Amino acid sequence: MRLTLLGGYLGAGKTTWLRHALHGAARPPHVIVNEAAGLSVDDLMLRGAAGLTVLAGGCACCTGRAALTLCLRGLSDAHSRGEGPTEIVMETSGLADPGAILALIRDDPVLAAHVRVAETVVLVDALHGLAQLAADPLGQAQVAVADRLVVTKTDRADPVALARLLATLRAVNPLALVGAAELGLPVALPDLPPQPPLSLPDPAGARAPITAEVLDLPAPVDWAGLGLWLSALLRARGDDIQRVKGVVRTPAGRLLIQTVRRVVQPPEVLPDSPADGDDRLVFLGQGAPAAALARSLHRFLG
Amino acid sequence: MCSACGFPARPGHWTDAGLATPQDRLRARFHRAAILRRVLAGRGLTAHDDGATGLMLSTLGGAHVLVADADGLWDAVARLTGRPFDPLDPAFLDPPA
Repeated sequence: MRLTLLGGYLGAGKTTWLRHALHGAARPPHVIVNEAAGLSVDDLMLRGAAGLTVLAGGCACCTGRAALTLCLRGLSDAHSRGEGPTEIVMETSGLADPGAILALIRDDPVLAAHVRVAETVVLVDALHGLAQLAADPLGQAQVAVADRLVVTKTDRADPVALARLLATLRAVNPLALVGAAELGLPVALPDLPPQPPLSLPDPAGARAPITAEVLDLPAPVDWAGLGLWLSALLRARGDDIQRVKGVVRTPAGRLLIQTVRRVVQPPEVLPDSPADGDDRLVFLGQGAPAAALARSLHRFLG
Repeated sequence: MCSACGFPARPGHWTDAGLATPQDRLRARFHRAAILRRVLAGRGLTAHDDGATGLMLSTLGGAHVLVADADGLWDAVARLTGRPFDPLDPAFLDPPA
Protein backbone atom coordinates (compact mmCIF):
# COMPACT_ATOMS: atom_id res chain seq x y z
CA MET A 1 0.00 0.00 0.00
CA ARG A 2 1.24 3.46 -0.85
CA LEU A 3 1.04 5.99 1.94
CA THR A 4 1.18 9.72 1.38
CA LEU A 5 1.88 11.74 4.49
CA LEU A 6 0.37 15.18 4.57
CA GLY A 7 1.87 17.52 7.11
CA GLY A 8 2.06 21.17 7.94
CA TYR A 9 1.65 23.57 10.78
CA LEU A 10 -1.70 24.24 12.43
CA GLY A 11 -3.97 26.05 10.00
CA ALA A 12 -1.71 25.63 6.98
CA GLY A 13 -4.63 24.41 4.85
CA LYS A 14 -4.10 20.65 5.00
CA THR A 15 -7.74 19.64 4.95
CA THR A 16 -8.64 22.07 2.18
CA TRP A 17 -5.79 20.82 0.04
CA LEU A 18 -6.72 17.21 0.70
CA ARG A 19 -10.37 17.80 -0.12
CA HIS A 20 -9.47 19.10 -3.56
CA ALA A 21 -6.90 16.37 -4.10
CA LEU A 22 -9.63 13.80 -3.36
CA HIS A 23 -12.00 15.45 -5.78
CA GLY A 24 -9.66 14.90 -8.72
CA ALA A 25 -8.32 11.48 -7.76
CA ALA A 26 -8.78 8.57 -10.20
CA ARG A 27 -8.58 6.00 -7.41
CA PRO A 28 -9.92 7.51 -4.22
CA PRO A 29 -7.57 6.77 -1.34
CA HIS A 30 -8.39 5.76 2.18
CA VAL A 31 -7.95 8.82 4.36
CA ILE A 32 -6.65 8.83 7.91
CA VAL A 33 -7.17 12.06 9.78
CA ASN A 34 -5.37 12.69 13.01
CA GLU A 35 -6.54 15.34 15.42
CA ALA A 36 -4.46 16.27 18.41
CA ALA A 37 -7.56 17.48 20.17
CA GLY A 38 -10.27 15.07 21.26
CA LEU A 39 -12.77 16.44 18.79
CA SER A 40 -12.62 16.22 15.04
CA VAL A 41 -14.13 18.68 12.62
CA ASP A 42 -11.98 17.98 9.60
CA ASP A 43 -13.61 14.66 8.79
CA LEU A 44 -16.90 16.33 7.91
CA MET A 45 -15.21 18.02 4.99
CA LEU A 46 -13.72 14.90 3.45
CA ARG A 47 -16.50 13.15 1.62
CA GLY A 48 -14.57 12.09 -1.48
CA ALA A 49 -12.52 9.44 0.27
CA ALA A 50 -12.89 5.69 -0.26
CA GLY A 51 -12.80 5.25 3.48
CA LEU A 52 -12.11 7.47 6.41
CA THR A 53 -10.53 6.82 9.76
CA VAL A 54 -10.39 9.53 12.36
CA LEU A 55 -7.78 9.25 15.05
CA ALA A 56 -8.79 11.82 17.61
CA GLY A 57 -7.43 12.49 21.03
CA GLY A 58 -3.70 12.42 20.58
CA CYS A 59 -1.09 13.32 18.06
CA ALA A 60 -0.01 10.24 16.08
CA CYS A 61 3.68 10.97 16.47
CA CYS A 62 3.56 10.79 20.29
CA THR A 63 0.51 9.99 22.43
CA GLY A 64 -1.57 8.54 19.59
CA ARG A 65 1.04 6.10 18.28
CA ALA A 66 -0.81 2.99 19.40
CA ALA A 67 -4.02 4.08 17.68
CA LEU A 68 -2.19 4.77 14.42
CA THR A 69 -0.41 1.42 14.52
CA LEU A 70 -3.70 -0.36 15.12
CA CYS A 71 -5.41 1.51 12.30
CA LEU A 72 -2.64 0.82 9.77
CA ARG A 73 -2.47 -2.83 10.81
CA GLY A 74 -6.22 -3.15 10.22
CA LEU A 75 -5.79 -1.69 6.74
CA SER A 76 -2.85 -4.05 6.09
CA ASP A 77 -5.02 -7.02 7.07
CA ALA A 78 -7.82 -5.94 4.75
CA HIS A 79 -5.32 -5.35 1.97
CA SER A 80 -3.89 -8.86 2.39
CA ARG A 81 -7.41 -10.24 1.93
CA GLY A 82 -7.77 -8.17 -1.24
CA GLU A 83 -10.40 -5.90 0.27
CA GLY A 84 -8.47 -2.93 1.46
CA PRO A 85 -7.30 0.22 -0.29
CA THR A 86 -4.01 0.44 -2.18
CA GLU A 87 -3.65 4.15 -1.57
CA ILE A 88 -3.68 5.79 1.83
CA VAL A 89 -3.41 9.47 2.60
CA MET A 90 -2.71 10.41 6.16
CA GLU A 91 -3.40 13.92 7.28
CA THR A 92 -1.25 14.50 10.32
CA SER A 93 -2.20 16.89 13.05
CA GLY A 94 -0.58 20.30 12.88
CA LEU A 95 1.54 19.36 15.87
CA ALA A 96 2.98 16.22 14.33
CA ASP A 97 6.53 15.65 13.29
CA PRO A 98 6.28 13.52 10.10
CA GLY A 99 9.71 12.06 10.86
CA ALA A 100 8.35 10.35 13.97
CA ILE A 101 5.53 8.74 11.96
CA LEU A 102 8.00 7.42 9.39
CA ALA A 103 9.98 5.90 12.25
CA LEU A 104 6.86 4.25 13.65
CA ILE A 105 6.08 2.57 10.32
CA ARG A 106 9.66 1.43 9.83
CA ASP A 107 9.89 -0.11 13.31
CA ASP A 108 6.65 -2.08 13.20
CA PRO A 109 7.28 -5.53 11.69
CA VAL A 110 3.83 -5.77 10.07
CA LEU A 111 3.68 -2.24 8.74
CA ALA A 112 7.25 -2.36 7.43
CA ALA A 113 6.17 -5.17 5.12
CA HIS A 114 2.86 -3.64 3.98
CA VAL A 115 3.18 0.12 3.86
CA ARG A 116 5.41 2.06 1.51
CA VAL A 117 5.70 5.78 2.09
CA ALA A 118 5.24 7.34 -1.35
CA GLU A 119 5.65 10.99 -0.54
CA THR A 120 5.72 13.44 2.32
CA VAL A 121 3.86 16.60 1.39
CA VAL A 122 4.14 19.53 3.76
CA LEU A 123 1.97 22.61 3.42
CA VAL A 124 3.22 26.04 4.43
CA ASP A 125 0.98 28.99 5.04
CA ALA A 126 2.13 31.94 2.89
CA LEU A 127 0.83 34.43 5.45
CA HIS A 128 2.13 32.89 8.66
CA GLY A 129 4.79 30.47 7.47
CA LEU A 130 7.73 32.72 8.18
CA ALA A 131 6.59 33.51 11.69
CA GLN A 132 5.95 29.82 12.40
CA LEU A 133 9.37 28.83 11.08
CA ALA A 134 11.00 31.50 13.19
CA ALA A 135 9.06 30.78 16.36
CA ASP A 136 8.78 27.02 16.53
CA PRO A 137 11.42 24.36 15.89
CA LEU A 138 8.58 22.03 14.89
CA GLY A 139 7.88 24.22 11.85
CA GLN A 140 11.45 23.75 10.72
CA ALA A 141 11.35 20.04 11.42
CA GLN A 142 8.24 19.64 9.27
CA VAL A 143 9.76 21.57 6.37
CA ALA A 144 13.06 19.72 6.66
CA VAL A 145 11.58 16.25 6.14
CA ALA A 146 9.28 17.12 3.20
CA ASP A 147 9.61 15.69 -0.31
CA ARG A 148 7.26 18.35 -1.58
CA LEU A 149 6.43 21.73 -0.11
CA VAL A 150 3.19 23.42 -1.07
CA VAL A 151 2.75 27.07 -0.20
CA THR A 152 -0.90 27.86 0.43
CA LYS A 153 -2.86 31.12 0.44
CA THR A 154 -0.38 32.75 -1.95
CA ASP A 155 -3.07 35.05 -3.36
CA ARG A 156 -3.30 36.91 -0.10
CA ALA A 157 0.43 37.22 0.54
CA ASP A 158 2.63 40.21 -0.06
CA PRO A 159 5.07 39.35 -2.96
CA VAL A 160 8.16 40.42 -1.03
CA ALA A 161 7.15 38.39 2.02
CA LEU A 162 6.31 35.44 -0.23
CA ALA A 163 9.70 35.63 -1.95
CA ARG A 164 11.34 35.74 1.47
CA LEU A 165 9.38 32.69 2.60
CA LEU A 166 10.33 30.72 -0.53
CA ALA A 167 14.01 31.60 -0.11
CA THR A 168 13.81 30.51 3.55
CA LEU A 169 12.12 27.23 2.62
CA ARG A 170 14.83 26.50 0.08
CA ALA A 171 17.47 27.23 2.69
CA VAL A 172 15.90 24.82 5.19
CA ASN A 173 15.18 22.11 2.62
CA PRO A 174 16.95 22.55 -0.73
CA LEU A 175 15.83 19.11 -1.95
CA ALA A 176 12.07 19.47 -1.82
CA LEU A 177 9.98 20.39 -4.84
CA VAL A 178 8.25 23.66 -4.11
CA GLY A 179 4.81 24.48 -5.49
CA ALA A 180 1.85 26.60 -4.56
CA ALA A 181 -1.86 26.03 -4.12
CA GLU A 182 -4.87 28.23 -3.58
CA LEU A 183 -7.94 26.67 -2.01
CA GLY A 184 -6.44 23.28 -2.77
CA LEU A 185 -5.85 23.86 -6.48
CA PRO A 186 -2.29 24.01 -7.76
CA VAL A 187 -1.28 27.42 -9.09
CA ALA A 188 1.90 28.69 -10.67
CA LEU A 189 4.16 30.72 -8.44
CA PRO A 190 4.20 34.33 -9.60
CA ASP A 191 7.42 36.03 -10.65
CA LEU A 192 8.95 37.37 -7.50
CA PRO A 193 11.78 39.70 -6.65
CA PRO A 194 14.79 37.81 -5.28
CA GLN A 195 14.99 38.04 -1.51
CA PRO A 196 17.55 36.81 1.00
CA PRO A 197 16.34 33.98 3.25
CA LEU A 198 15.42 34.83 6.80
CA SER A 199 18.07 33.56 9.16
CA LEU A 200 16.20 31.22 11.44
CA PRO A 201 16.87 30.85 15.10
CA ASP A 202 18.38 27.63 15.92
CA PRO A 203 15.97 25.03 17.28
CA ALA A 204 18.23 23.83 20.05
CA GLY A 205 19.72 27.12 21.03
CA ALA A 206 23.37 27.12 20.12
CA ARG A 207 23.37 24.73 17.20
CA ALA A 208 24.68 25.54 13.77
CA PRO A 209 22.19 26.20 10.95
CA ILE A 210 21.16 23.34 8.69
CA THR A 211 23.42 23.09 5.67
CA ALA A 212 23.36 20.93 2.56
CA GLU A 213 26.55 18.92 2.03
CA VAL A 214 27.24 16.98 -1.16
CA LEU A 215 29.27 13.78 -1.03
CA ASP A 216 30.46 12.24 -4.30
CA LEU A 217 30.80 8.50 -3.93
CA PRO A 218 33.84 6.73 -5.33
CA ALA A 219 32.77 4.71 -8.39
CA PRO A 220 31.95 1.90 -8.65
CA VAL A 221 30.01 2.18 -5.41
CA ASP A 222 30.73 -0.45 -2.77
CA TRP A 223 27.11 -0.88 -1.74
CA ALA A 224 27.67 -3.11 1.28
CA GLY A 225 30.35 -0.76 2.63
CA LEU A 226 28.26 2.32 1.94
CA GLY A 227 25.25 0.84 3.75
CA LEU A 228 27.34 -0.10 6.75
CA TRP A 229 28.84 3.37 6.93
CA LEU A 230 25.51 5.16 6.48
CA SER A 231 23.91 3.04 9.20
CA ALA A 232 26.74 3.93 11.59
CA LEU A 233 26.51 7.60 10.68
CA LEU A 234 22.75 7.79 11.20
CA ARG A 235 22.96 5.85 14.46
CA ALA A 236 25.46 8.36 15.85
CA ARG A 237 24.32 11.56 14.14
CA GLY A 238 20.66 10.94 13.28
CA ASP A 239 19.52 13.91 15.36
CA ASP A 240 21.81 16.28 13.47
CA ILE A 241 21.52 14.85 9.97
CA GLN A 242 17.89 15.52 9.14
CA ARG A 243 17.83 14.09 5.70
CA VAL A 244 19.99 12.19 3.22
CA LYS A 245 18.98 11.81 -0.39
CA GLY A 246 20.63 10.59 -3.56
CA VAL A 247 20.74 8.09 -6.38
CA VAL A 248 23.30 5.28 -6.25
CA ARG A 249 24.13 2.82 -9.02
CA THR A 250 24.30 -0.75 -7.70
CA PRO A 251 24.26 -4.28 -9.12
CA ALA A 252 20.51 -4.28 -8.42
CA GLY A 253 19.88 -1.11 -10.44
CA ARG A 254 19.79 2.61 -9.76
CA LEU A 255 18.53 3.05 -6.23
CA LEU A 256 16.94 6.11 -4.71
CA ILE A 257 18.17 6.49 -1.13
CA GLN A 258 16.13 8.60 1.25
CA THR A 259 16.43 8.98 4.96
CA VAL A 260 14.62 11.07 7.53
CA ARG A 261 16.72 11.34 10.68
CA ARG A 262 17.35 7.71 11.70
CA VAL A 263 14.76 6.21 9.37
CA VAL A 264 15.96 4.85 6.05
CA GLN A 265 13.14 4.32 3.61
CA PRO A 266 13.32 1.12 1.57
CA PRO A 267 15.44 2.13 -1.43
CA GLU A 268 13.40 2.39 -4.61
CA VAL A 269 14.64 1.10 -7.96
CA LEU A 270 14.62 3.86 -10.58
CA PRO A 271 14.46 3.43 -14.37
CA ASP A 272 17.88 2.68 -15.80
CA SER A 273 18.81 5.97 -17.41
CA PRO A 274 22.08 7.10 -15.88
CA ALA A 275 22.14 10.78 -15.07
CA ASP A 276 24.83 13.20 -13.98
CA GLY A 277 23.56 13.31 -10.41
CA ASP A 278 24.12 9.59 -9.83
CA ASP A 279 26.46 8.22 -7.16
CA ARG A 280 26.12 11.32 -5.07
CA LEU A 281 24.46 11.82 -1.69
CA VAL A 282 23.15 15.08 -0.30
CA PHE A 283 23.21 15.48 3.49
CA LEU A 284 20.98 18.07 5.13
CA GLY A 285 21.88 18.77 8.68
CA GLN A 286 24.31 20.20 11.14
CA GLY A 287 27.85 19.41 12.12
CA ALA A 288 28.64 17.06 9.23
CA PRO A 289 30.87 18.91 6.74
CA ALA A 290 31.44 17.22 3.38
CA ALA A 291 35.17 16.81 4.00
CA ALA A 292 34.58 14.90 7.25
CA LEU A 293 31.93 12.72 5.59
CA ALA A 294 34.27 11.87 2.72
CA ARG A 295 37.12 11.08 5.12
CA SER A 296 34.86 8.93 7.28
CA LEU A 297 33.56 6.96 4.30
CA HIS A 298 37.12 6.48 3.10
CA ARG A 299 38.08 5.04 6.51
CA PHE A 300 35.29 2.48 6.10
CA LEU A 301 35.97 1.54 2.50
CA GLY A 302 39.74 1.48 3.00
CA MET B 1 11.79 -16.45 11.46
CA CYS B 2 13.48 -19.14 13.53
CA SER B 3 11.57 -19.54 16.78
CA ALA B 4 14.72 -20.42 18.69
CA CYS B 5 16.97 -17.52 17.79
CA GLY B 6 14.48 -15.02 16.36
CA PHE B 7 16.48 -14.48 13.16
CA PRO B 8 15.87 -13.02 10.65
CA ALA B 9 13.93 -10.44 12.61
CA ARG B 10 12.30 -8.92 9.54
CA PRO B 11 12.59 -9.42 5.82
CA GLY B 12 14.81 -7.34 3.61
CA HIS B 13 16.88 -4.84 5.51
CA TRP B 14 17.57 -1.74 3.38
CA THR B 15 21.29 -2.45 3.32
CA ASP B 16 20.55 -5.49 1.13
CA ALA B 17 18.66 -3.47 -1.48
CA GLY B 18 21.66 -2.88 -3.74
CA LEU B 19 22.57 -6.57 -3.95
CA ALA B 20 21.06 -8.39 -6.91
CA THR B 21 21.72 -12.09 -6.25
CA PRO B 22 22.01 -14.40 -3.22
CA GLN B 23 25.72 -14.68 -4.01
CA ASP B 24 26.04 -10.89 -3.84
CA ARG B 25 24.29 -10.87 -0.49
CA LEU B 26 26.55 -13.57 0.93
CA ARG B 27 29.67 -11.80 -0.34
CA ALA B 28 28.37 -8.55 1.18
CA ARG B 29 28.07 -10.21 4.60
CA PHE B 30 31.71 -11.31 4.56
CA HIS B 31 32.71 -7.93 3.20
CA ARG B 32 30.88 -6.09 6.01
CA ALA B 33 32.50 -8.31 8.63
CA ALA B 34 35.93 -7.54 7.12
CA ILE B 35 35.22 -3.78 7.21
CA LEU B 36 34.04 -4.03 10.82
CA ARG B 37 37.17 -5.90 11.90
CA ARG B 38 39.24 -3.04 10.49
CA VAL B 39 37.05 -0.20 11.78
CA LEU B 40 36.47 -1.62 15.25
CA ALA B 41 39.98 -3.00 15.84
CA GLY B 42 40.91 0.10 17.85
CA ARG B 43 38.07 -0.63 20.28
CA GLY B 44 39.04 -4.20 21.01
CA LEU B 45 36.16 -5.66 19.06
CA THR B 46 36.19 -8.26 16.35
CA ALA B 47 33.45 -9.37 13.96
CA HIS B 48 32.74 -12.69 12.33
CA ASP B 49 29.99 -13.73 9.96
CA ASP B 50 29.44 -17.44 9.39
CA GLY B 51 27.20 -16.76 6.40
CA ALA B 52 24.20 -18.32 8.09
CA THR B 53 22.85 -16.99 11.38
CA GLY B 54 24.10 -13.47 11.64
CA LEU B 55 27.02 -11.27 12.48
CA MET B 56 28.90 -12.14 15.67
CA LEU B 57 30.62 -9.33 17.57
CA SER B 58 33.17 -10.40 20.18
CA THR B 59 35.24 -8.50 22.71
CA LEU B 60 38.74 -9.45 23.77
CA GLY B 61 37.23 -10.41 27.10
CA GLY B 62 35.10 -13.04 25.43
CA ALA B 63 31.68 -11.41 25.39
CA HIS B 64 29.68 -12.25 22.25
CA VAL B 65 26.64 -10.64 20.69
CA LEU B 66 24.83 -11.90 17.62
CA VAL B 67 23.24 -9.10 15.61
CA ALA B 68 20.60 -9.38 12.90
CA ASP B 69 21.28 -6.29 10.81
CA ALA B 70 22.88 -2.87 10.73
CA ASP B 71 20.16 -1.40 12.97
CA GLY B 72 21.09 -3.61 15.90
CA LEU B 73 24.77 -3.63 15.11
CA TRP B 74 25.71 -0.15 16.31
CA ASP B 75 23.69 -0.46 19.51
CA ALA B 76 25.54 -3.70 20.22
CA VAL B 77 28.87 -1.99 19.55
CA ALA B 78 27.95 0.76 22.00
CA ARG B 79 26.92 -1.78 24.63
CA LEU B 80 30.06 -3.89 24.30
CA THR B 81 32.51 -0.99 24.33
CA GLY B 82 30.66 1.27 26.74
CA ARG B 83 30.34 4.24 24.38
CA PRO B 84 28.60 4.86 21.07
CA PHE B 85 30.56 4.62 17.85
CA ASP B 86 30.70 7.93 15.98
CA PRO B 87 32.10 7.75 12.44
CA LEU B 88 32.72 11.52 12.50
CA ASP B 89 34.77 11.36 15.70
CA PRO B 90 38.09 13.17 14.94
CA ALA B 91 39.97 10.29 16.56
CA PHE B 92 38.39 7.93 14.03
CA LEU B 93 38.89 10.22 11.05
CA ASP B 94 42.59 10.74 11.74
CA PRO B 95 43.84 7.90 13.92
CA PRO B 96 47.18 8.40 15.67
CA ALA B 97 49.83 6.67 13.59
